[in-house]
Amino acid sequence: MKTVCRIAALAAFFTGSAASAQQLAPSPTLDAIKARGHIECGVHLGLPGFSFANDKGEWTGLDVDYCKSLAAAVLGDATKVKFTPTSVQQRWAVLQSGQVDLLSRNTTITFSRNATLGVNFQGINFYEGQTFVVRTKAKVAAVKDLADATICVAAGSTEEKTAADWFRERNLKVTIVNFQKNDDAISAYDQGRCDAYTAGIGALAGQRIKFKDPNEHQILTEIISNDPQGPVTRWGDERWQLVVRWVLNGTIAAEALGVTSKNVEEMKAKSASSEVRRLLGAEGKFGQMMGLSDDWMFNAIKQVGNYGESYERTVGMGSALKLKRGANELWTKGGLLYSPPFQ
Amino acid sequence: MKFLRDRKVRDVLWQALATVGLVVVVVFFVRNASDNMVKAGIASGFQFLWRDSGIEVPFNITGYKPSDTILALLWTGIVNTILVSAAAVVVATVIGFTVGLMRLSHNWLLSTLAAVYIEFVRNIPLLFFVLFWYFGVLAALPTPKESFDFLGVAFLNRRGLSIPLPNEVTGFQLALLAIAVLMVAQIGLARWAKARQARTGRDFPTWMVGFVLCGLLPIAALAVAGVTTSWDVPTLRGFNYRGGFVLVPEFVALFMALSTYTAGFIAEVVRGGIQSVRQGQIDAARALGLTPGRVVRLVVIPQAMPVIIPPITSQYLNLIKNSSLGAAIAYPEIVAVFMGSALVGTGQAIEIIAITLGIYLTIGLAVSAFMNWYNARHRLVTR
Repeated sequence: MKTVCRIAALAAFFTGSAASAQQLAPSPTLDAIKARGHIECGVHLGLPGFSFANDKGEWTGLDVDYCKSLAAAVLGDATKVKFTPTSVQQRWAVLQSGQVDLLSRNTTITFSRNATLGVNFQGINFYEGQTFVVRTKAKVAAVKDLADATICVAAGSTEEKTAADWFRERNLKVTIVNFQKNDDAISAYDQGRCDAYTAGIGALAGQRIKFKDPNEHQILTEIISNDPQGPVTRWGDERWQLVVRWVLNGTIAAEALGVTSKNVEEMKAKSASSEVRRLLGAEGKFGQMMGLSDDWMFNAIKQVGNYGESYERTVGMGSALKLKRGANELWTKGGLLYSPPFQ
Repeated sequence: MKFLRDRKVRDVLWQALATVGLVVVVVFFVRNASDNMVKAGIASGFQFLWRDSGIEVPFNITGYKPSDTILALLWTGIVNTILVSAAAVVVATVIGFTVGLMRLSHNWLLSTLAAVYIEFVRNIPLLFFVLFWYFGVLAALPTPKESFDFLGVAFLNRRGLSIPLPNEVTGFQLALLAIAVLMVAQIGLARWAKARQARTGRDFPTWMVGFVLCGLLPIAALAVAGVTTSWDVPTLRGFNYRGGFVLVPEFVALFMALSTYTAGFIAEVVRGGIQSVRQGQIDAARALGLTPGRVVRLVVIPQAMPVIIPPITSQYLNLIKNSSLGAAIAYPEIVAVFMGSALVGTGQAIEIIAITLGIYLTIGLAVSAFMNWYNARHRLVTR
């Protein structure tokens, strides 16, 4: 009798453990997020269209939306995010020390950052390109007309080096003045310390709103760099990196598959496409593979929307920035956005 | 165990133990940090100092170029820190002594003005003061096209003060050599005059001669050098004046902020020092028939100095450390170029912050050592 009991107990243990969990790699970050009930998201100090706190203290923007999608996918509620504003200088330390779970703040993916800072870039949510804002009356048509100009820039940004390199390679002399914060550089430019301020074209569209008289300034259309930007995590905890990467892919895939916040329920119930059904958790149990619930992307799309909806609302035609999709359009429509398949 | 009863042995033993303990703790934390950094995939070590910096510094006198190493960038930052601190220390001392003496004046207007200045300056946060000067300076200056023109060779605008630079420096080197010789001559003369006065009681117009020797003759020498060399005169090209040397508005704003701010504190130190001299000393000096100027110069100041110098030293140290606020207005000192640009570029926060701390510590200790030496040398010989 005793032996039978033991065998039964052993059998129950094995079947039980096999059923309850296909063994997941441990993820201290996901465990911590679930325990504390919100995601800690590092954002920009204040960049309209990307991460900007409005007068009620609510954060809005493309980078903010991504963190909301992540919260919806992980915790089922897009509001469960705490935003930590970080400066150009602080951002790496804030991420490395574990103060935030990820950065989503207009940070350019570069080789040396990836190789030496202990951070991983989890995809691209905005294809940025560097350009300059100048006073309209300065009559600057192209970047090379800025020879002999004084240029304000945020110290330690990719823009600082890109601008220095660009003019040096062409044997043009410029004076570059490095400020610690974007906002200081902008107000110095506005005060007339510099002839130009340089940043990404999307960032400039947002910053321009901060000028005393935005109409006196003009953003050059010429682009001098490629600055792909996206969410950043620290090394280690592969499962958390997986979640960050695939929520971003999911928002892009949703747009490609025609899933929006309006039709997401109908698509989940009725769509004939297997990929849509797998994305929304109607089949395949994809969420469980990462240790999330199966309706992870369903929640993200329902509460925040797909990439295109978010883009139009924050930086696109539905916003004050009025940026065209350009490179940030789906690859099928001439852009660069592409999600690997949900298979 | 008997030797443990010897007090000297015990003292040495305790100190040795404390030192070993400290070293062990430091080594433990350094190793722990470096292990954790390796695990987190963060680069460590000091090799980055020899990497190309690629960072533009708009104001430097070291000949730094963006193609130089990060070490050269660091050196440029150190030189800029020392430059603005040294200039501000001198001016803060002059303003501080003047305001401190004004504060003690019997003239109501002077002492009230001084009091208002001191209270105003001491009760404003320094960062605010720096930004006030910076944006104040910028707002007051014209655009490059409408520059203030000084005889067609120097130009003042929002990009700074452009002054001509000599193409040849040999003339100036000779002039500087001549000035050095003149200064040595002046010191010798002063000693001789003092000795003669002690011996014969006859006064010698040392200051007048010194003014000619160290003031007028050098100007003449520099003028000769200036006329005989060709100059790189700034000219308006496109957006800005090019050529010559540009004194950037960041330097001016930081210099003004640091010197006027610290002067407020120095003024109070000077007032306290002077008030610590007993009234009897002043009365006695007057009774001997010394003029009011000499009472101050020969009786009051020498007795006040030992009281003034230690707190003034800490004001100097504060000023040097406060120069790091230049980072807020893009003045390229250590914190801006090294802890700002270089740190973000390389991500090696621990190394960079440690180096920066070491540099401030070295500068600070050097200033303290000098001031202690000065104080010891000028201590009153009490009999």
